[in-house]
Amino acid sequence: MADTSSSTVELDGTADLASVMRDGRRTINYDPPHLNPVPSRQYYFYLMLPAIIILACITIYPFFWLIYMSLHKVDIGGAGDVWNDFKNWTRLTRDSKFQDGWWLLLKYSAMCMFMEVGLGVLLAVILNNSRAEKILVTIFLMPMMMAPVIAGLVWYYLYNGTFGWYHWLLESAGILGETSILGGTSTAMIGIVIVDVWQWTPLITLITLAGLKRVPRDQLEANMVDGAGPVRNFFQISLPNLYPFLLIAILLRFMDNFRFIDAILVLTGGGPANSTKILPTYLFDVSFQFFKLGRGAAIALTLLVVTIILGLILVRVFDSPASKTGQTQAGN
Amino acid sequence: MASSDVVQYRSPARRLVEILTVVFLAVYLVWTVLPLFIMFVSSFKDLLEAFKLPPTGDWAGAWVFFDFTPTVQHYVDLFADNNFGTYLANSIIASLGSALISVVFGAMAAYSLSRIEFRGKRDLFFWIISTRMAPVVAVMVPLYAIFRGAGLVGTLPGLILAYTTFNLPFAIWILKGFFDNVPYAIEEAAMCDGCTRFQAFREILPLVAPGIGAFLVLCVLFAWNDFLFASIIGSGGAKTLPVATKELVQPQNIQWGKIMAAGVVTTAPMMFLGLLIRRYLVTGLTMGAVRE
Repeated sequence: MADTSSSTVELDGTADLASVMRDGRRTINYDPPHLNPVPSRQYYFYLMLPAIIILACITIYPFFWLIYMSLHKVDIGGAGDVWNDFKNWTRLTRDSKFQDGWWLLLKYSAMCMFMEVGLGVLLAVILNNSRAEKILVTIFLMPMMMAPVIAGLVWYYLYNGTFGWYHWLLESAGILGETSILGGTSTAMIGIVIVDVWQWTPLITLITLAGLKRVPRDQLEANMVDGAGPVRNFFQISLPNLYPFLLIAILLRFMDNFRFIDAILVLTGGGPANSTKILPTYLFDVSFQFFKLGRGAAIALTLLVVTIILGLILVRVFDSPASKTGQTQAGN
Repeated sequence: MASSDVVQYRSPARRLVEILTVVFLAVYLVWTVLPLFIMFVSSFKDLLEAFKLPPTGDWAGAWVFFDFTPTVQHYVDLFADNNFGTYLANSIIASLGSALISVVFGAMAAYSLSRIEFRGKRDLFFWIISTRMAPVVAVMVPLYAIFRGAGLVGTLPGLILAYTTFNLPFAIWILKGFFDNVPYAIEEAAMCDGCTRFQAFREILPLVAPGIGAFLVLCVLFAWNDFLFASIIGSGGAKTLPVATKELVQPQNIQWGKIMAAGVVTTAPMMFLGLLIRRYLVTGLTMGAVRE
């Protein structure tokens, strides 16, 4: 915002037409920049300002506060923060739960992604251009509207070892023994993955469907003339065209797996025996169960850094022409 | 996928595939709807009936699921004994408040961001979107410390501010893409006709109003469905529906009928809103990267 020093601001009706026109041209770049006086750009900056200020107050300020906290022993009781020689950070290297947390987070995300993408794409391909597409898609996306914590509660009920219907179903089918799915250290992870798959597969389906609609028809037809059946057509034409869409879908889901732990908190709370204590869950425990906010801040920073890297990748994908206009460049 | 104008020979293999797809769709439909259905039905069962389950392996016994006398007692109790009226109001105020702040300021910022170029714009954008994508727990650690110092923990304004951390960047980001699609020529023409800049802005509002409305609804939905912020920052004075529902789960005395009823109260309005803005859902949920 370097231009605030320039003089005239024209918020009222008195702006002379010439300057308005020149300014108008400027934004769509008819002219080389040196022909364009800047004064009325202030108008836009003023419009932008409130949002930027609010955002700065609730994101940048807390971010620095987070760094500060990670370097101190934070006492919320009001006794003041004490510098503690990077102890929050050095402890992380010896903290097995922290390292396991990362590993479990990756495992959890990978499992979710694998099932959601597989199922979601399959569903999209089947639904695409089918007669019932509209109504079915509408029904399928209902779980996405649900608060994750409520979804967690419903599934907690379904999984329950004594009165849960899904537990009864699995037990009757001989898949599961007496222990409920959330009770066993080896099955609990599957249990939470299933809930995520139930809720978020439709998102992948929606994105894939949007992608499938943009697969150039002439290419499909040309390939069919060359003797390809629907299966070959899918792998040779549709799938390459879908890649940008799938990448967006995967990145979005990946970030959401980092962002939300609502369902997990309800379902297992990280147990049994920490087998589902993915990093955000551990961070929640450290910060809001034990109120070790200093250590929590250090963990939060590691999580933020990874998210920012993912975000950089995502923005790059967003900017790619394929995702932006939907005109896939399968021509090259 | 094959285009419909090509005549196809229906081989047995093809028939098989068709049958399989129908079966798959049917199974997936049941898989999607069943938890919702069980939640809905269970909310009308009384305490004992909700726990009724046939013995293991007794497939025919599954009909006991429907063996109950429907009661709306849980819904009555929620509002009469559990203060759900207050929590409902909290949910509405917090989500609507944050959505309005986000969309009003977001639209202003998005409009100007879409109309001018300046150095560092890309960086500004990246900052905006990365705040939206930050893990909620990680954001909450410093926010909790700050809000505690400011006395905002447990208050509705605190919760509204907390929700704005994810709704405002979302609104800016998504509405910017929206304004990009409105040709500047329209405003230019309006200003040639003697409109002021602000009047010209009003001129294009009808074009973007449906979208702005839809994303307002989406912001409400995000905030409404939040649990983490509400449970920590809202704890105490600003309990919202998801938190209140979660708190019905108590170790000794789990009242599933009541919990399911609370689930229905929390979920039903959002499903309705979701269907209402169905057209904008993909755009909204993919941060504008994908359009239907």
